[in-house]
Amino acid sequence: MTLQPDDFWSFSEWLLRPESFLESALLQGVVLLAFATLVGLLVAYLVSAVRYGPSEGFYAVARGVRDLFRDDLPGTSPRRIFALARLAYKEAIRRKVLVVVALFLVGLLFAGWYLDPRSSDPARLYISFVLTSTNYLILLLALFISAFSLPADIKNRTIYTIVTKPVRATEIVLGRMLGFVGVGTLMLVPMGLASYFFVVRGLRHTHEVVDIKELGDGRFSGKLSYDQFHEHTFTLEATGDTDGSVLEGVTDYVRGHRHIVRKVGDRYVIGEPTGALRARVPSYGELSFTDRSGNLDVKGIDIGAEKGRGDYGSAGIARLVGVSREARRMEFGYVEGGTLGSAIYGFKDVTPQRYPDADGIPMEMALRAFRTIKGNIVSGLSGSITMRNPDNPKIESTPINFVVQEYDVSEERLPRQIEGTDGDQIRTLDLFQDLVTPDGRLDVIIRCIDRQQYLGATSSSVYLRPAESSFAWNLFKSYFSIWLQMVMVIAFGVMFSTFLSGPVAMVATFVCVLLGFTAERIYDIRYYLDKGEAMGGGPIESLVRLVRQDSMTTDLDVDAIAAKLIKGVDSVLVYTLDVIATSLPNLPKMLSTAEYAASGFDIFGSLLARHAVATAGYVIAAFLIGYFFLKTREIAA
Amino acid sequence: MNRSSGFRNKLIYLMVMIAMLIPLYLLGQPAGGSSGDGGGQLTQMRTKYNIAESELGDINPASETMKLASLGLRGVAATLLWSKANEYKVNHEWDRLKATLNNIALLQPHYEKVWEFQAHNLSYNVSAEFDDYRQRYSMVREGIEYLTRGVEQNRKASRLVWYTGWFYGQKIGMSDEKRQFRKLFSDDKPQHEELRESNIAVDSPDARGPDGKPDNWLVGRQWLLYGYNLVDSGVKIRNQTPINYYQTGPKWRIKHAEAIESEGVLDDRAKSAWQQAADDWQSFGQRSVPTTSPFTIKLGSILELDQQRQALTKQLMDLAGETYRAEEKLLRDGLNDQEREALAIPPEERTQEQGMLAMQLEVRLKPMWSRVARKAPENVRLRAIQLAGEMADVEARYQKTDSYRGQVNYEYWQTLCTAEQEDRTVEARRLLFDAEKANADADIDQAIQKYEQAFAMWAEIIDDFPVLLQDELSDDLMRSINRYKVAIDREDFDDDFPLHPFIEVMLSEKKTSEEYRRLRQLQKEGKLERRATPTENAVEPTSSELGDKPNGPEKAADDPLPTDGTGGEPSAGDKPAPEGDVEATTSERTPMPQG
Repeated sequence: MTLQPDDFWSFSEWLLRPESFLESALLQGVVLLAFATLVGLLVAYLVSAVRYGPSEGFYAVARGVRDLFRDDLPGTSPRRIFALARLAYKEAIRRKVLVVVALFLVGLLFAGWYLDPRSSDPARLYISFVLTSTNYLILLLALFISAFSLPADIKNRTIYTIVTKPVRATEIVLGRMLGFVGVGTLMLVPMGLASYFFVVRGLRHTHEVVDIKELGDGRFSGKLSYDQFHEHTFTLEATGDTDGSVLEGVTDYVRGHRHIVRKVGDRYVIGEPTGALRARVPSYGELSFTDRSGNLDVKGIDIGAEKGRGDYGSAGIARLVGVSREARRMEFGYVEGGTLGSAIYGFKDVTPQRYPDADGIPMEMALRAFRTIKGNIVSGLSGSITMRNPDNPKIESTPINFVVQEYDVSEERLPRQIEGTDGDQIRTLDLFQDLVTPDGRLDVIIRCIDRQQYLGATSSSVYLRPAESSFAWNLFKSYFSIWLQMVMVIAFGVMFSTFLSGPVAMVATFVCVLLGFTAERIYDIRYYLDKGEAMGGGPIESLVRLVRQDSMTTDLDVDAIAAKLIKGVDSVLVYTLDVIATSLPNLPKMLSTAEYAASGFDIFGSLLARHAVATAGYVIAAFLIGYFFLKTREIAA
Repeated sequence: MNRSSGFRNKLIYLMVMIAMLIPLYLLGQPAGGSSGDGGGQLTQMRTKYNIAESELGDINPASETMKLASLGLRGVAATLLWSKANEYKVNHEWDRLKATLNNIALLQPHYEKVWEFQAHNLSYNVSAEFDDYRQRYSMVREGIEYLTRGVEQNRKASRLVWYTGWFYGQKIGMSDEKRQFRKLFSDDKPQHEELRESNIAVDSPDARGPDGKPDNWLVGRQWLLYGYNLVDSGVKIRNQTPINYYQTGPKWRIKHAEAIESEGVLDDRAKSAWQQAADDWQSFGQRSVPTTSPFTIKLGSILELDQQRQALTKQLMDLAGETYRAEEKLLRDGLNDQEREALAIPPEERTQEQGMLAMQLEVRLKPMWSRVARKAPENVRLRAIQLAGEMADVEARYQKTDSYRGQVNYEYWQTLCTAEQEDRTVEARRLLFDAEKANADADIDQAIQKYEQAFAMWAEIIDDFPVLLQDELSDDLMRSINRYKVAIDREDFDDDFPLHPFIEVMLSEKKTSEEYRRLRQLQKEGKLERRATPTENAVEPTSSELGDKPNGPEKAADDPLPTDGTGGEPSAGDKPAPEGDVEATTSERTPMPQG
């Protein structure tokens, strides 16, 4: 899993962005709220002016604002909110929304048809399938239940019975939101449990021992049968029990897991697959490169691999106003072998308390290899790991060699005691005494040994692993992220339903979700529009190109006036869409917590905090807008 | 709106719905069980054109479900999936790419190009992204399996069957990692099991290599034979020329023989492999191949056609010889001065322009028999015209056969098979192999002895089969000669060194059989000049030349000479491999164009 720069930010970094406040989330939220308020007040004034005349209209709006702060907010009673929530809850249940859970379970049953049993990392596939399908189903559900309830009430005129209770508009809106969130949560729980068991059961399998031979000195080696499209080899050793009849060992890692094998007397007991479902807690470092002459470089060598598109969104408002333009996507930088080129990771907080293991600090690597000549086909590319003191570069350990395993996370250990150089001396260095600075910093240098070959690294390729979290907890956290998305969609749905009819509210919410998903594409189009480079253009230009079967990158082949017109209209459309997309929540980012769970990484607390704060912001905005619309409709006057 | 109008509207709607149901029923009724019930129009059309699901291949319920679930937006869904697949490929997410490709196959099972494209994508593009050769092999295998599934669902897709055979041969047998891939394939029992399930005779002697395990070339050939049976039973060859379709099967046998020899099998097994290859190639020559003209040809029948041509010419000359000569004179008189001049100069002294002009003229100066026949004397005119017609037909066939033979280099491969089958060729290869091995083991005396024996034999063989000059053998031989020079510590050779003319030809511009014969003649007469040939970097023999060492690590291929394929990877582009001659891709045995 490759992380992008914004994944590394802590919560306060994301909120405040100390060096570039223009990109901060706080600014974005404040601007959004301010903008929404302004637009809302303007629209409200216009509507009131039409209804009551200009000066009366102004007073109507002012009165509405005063009412909010003077009466409605203070007067909102939790008891009534709760009562309305219960009502909404019952209504939703009565509308048979529980069928979604049944749908989900049916989906799980048929998942086997569509999941590839031969993949090299089935855990990842299963987890991402389960999380993605839950996510989409829940969003659909949220869409349906939230959009229809209020309009139904308004159409059936049952709203009057509620409003005359007296119930404030705030309570109606909040109560509905809460009720639907409750229903959604009720359904998320069994879906989560079902997913967990689906994944665990789906990965469960066993083998039989097919081949065994004695290695002498009491050890055995053997092979397990070919089941589930793979097989293992294993070794057995004596456990040191009294009569030596029990031997224990482990298999090799195949498809991300291994088994524990025990020989009890004549029987072999093969354990469950382990290691496939995990949640590593990584500690990342700052990455910098040196080029082949040893000079520092920000990026590594670009080998010309095709680049992905996107990742503009992390720049916040700065991108919207045009201050920051480029995509923030981080690509792999490569290190040339047999030269002074290297990738340097600067780790922080390297303390004995954090890494108590006597064997050394566990470090994991997910590097890539690139060959310019075939070289030795049979063996992989070799690299070396060196540790260095950041403050005193003369203190350096001797290199630890490794062979690159692409697309697999390889585990190494940084030993506590290692030979190394200290200036001119060669002596045994202690990791924490000599190589780590007093404030806990350590440099780990990765080099490529084979000449004319390249090693690829990115900020998240190499990390230390201080701890390991549980998979179940990680799965729960990703479900929490799904829950947050659901809350947001419900809030939007209820908000739209206060002034639109049922189906229209649903479509409006759906459009908001869709815009959230396609935001990066819109940013990309805007980027190329600003740059002036032909890359397909906006909606009208794309349509023209499609019909004429022109390619994306050639100039538009119509006459000058038509081209100007098309580009002009497109700019307006794209900029408008851009503004809307920026104001809407970044759903793909929230969806990507599934990626963490699937790849076996612990979801950072700061990530969830960010999502929670963003959700809270949008819920508050939706609540306020919903309140105002409900209030201004004649029914709630 | 009053009540009755509402009711009336409902009646009208009902009527319209029933009226629309009738044509729907007529069109879409499925075929009934009894023979007389052909079903609705659509079903009948499906049966007539043989495009019913069950006729195309295995029915896949998952595929049908997915197609239904897309609710008419199958095209949109497929487009989104393709775009997702590309995204995964760019981000190197191979598992998800495979999963997406599986889903694409479910949505578009009968679109052959989809199977071809994505199988090629997996085997050629994605496999190259991995560093570990075992992972590369597994990706190649994924692509092949993908294609096999395509064949199951499209039983009449002759091209897919051919493509599967192609992959087994070309990708496993001609990559840079061919040594490793071939070994991995022969040990890949699960894959053999899959092949058995696809009714490919993996266990037959025809599919086993010299070590008793399935050989990738021969298994590929089995697939191609399956394709040939398919075509023979009436399925058309589409998206491919028939000659290219048919030549691959026999070619794979040739490639197999070459492969086992390069791996060190240099005994009777190699000989019999070459014999079988020669037989196959011969049978290929006897196959009726459709052409772009309205007749079919047989590549092996060029001699017969030539004989027919000569017989007809004799008959025509007997009948209308005078007329022919008169016509010839007429044409000659019509030349202008420049043309006359060009013809007068002997061939060796012509400039390029004059040479080309002369060639064109020679064609022009030959009278056409159809014209001559029309001008023939009255009493023989009818017969002459008849014969001229036959002549034109035979001529057309001859030209076509000649041209198609050129396309597949028929004669070259035929001669090669003949040359390689001989005992002395196998023996000469073995001697060379042993010499290289001795050289690598630093046993210089043994090496020199073997080299000399080998060279003497090779000189004889090249004498008889100068076509071997165009084979990859000649490059190997040059390298061996250079190593020999290092071993004997000399820069040049004696005049009677058997391969002296060979060296001369290789270093000269014209690497043709005629040139070789000329130089050989000079050597026999003792007039061949010695040329001090520069010793190219004498390097350790590459592992490819030493053959497969059982469990040892491969030597680092440091050879600076370019023909070992140590350069870039084959076809890393995003288009399917070009069809056409196997020689078009990076291969070790690239014959030089016939001079």
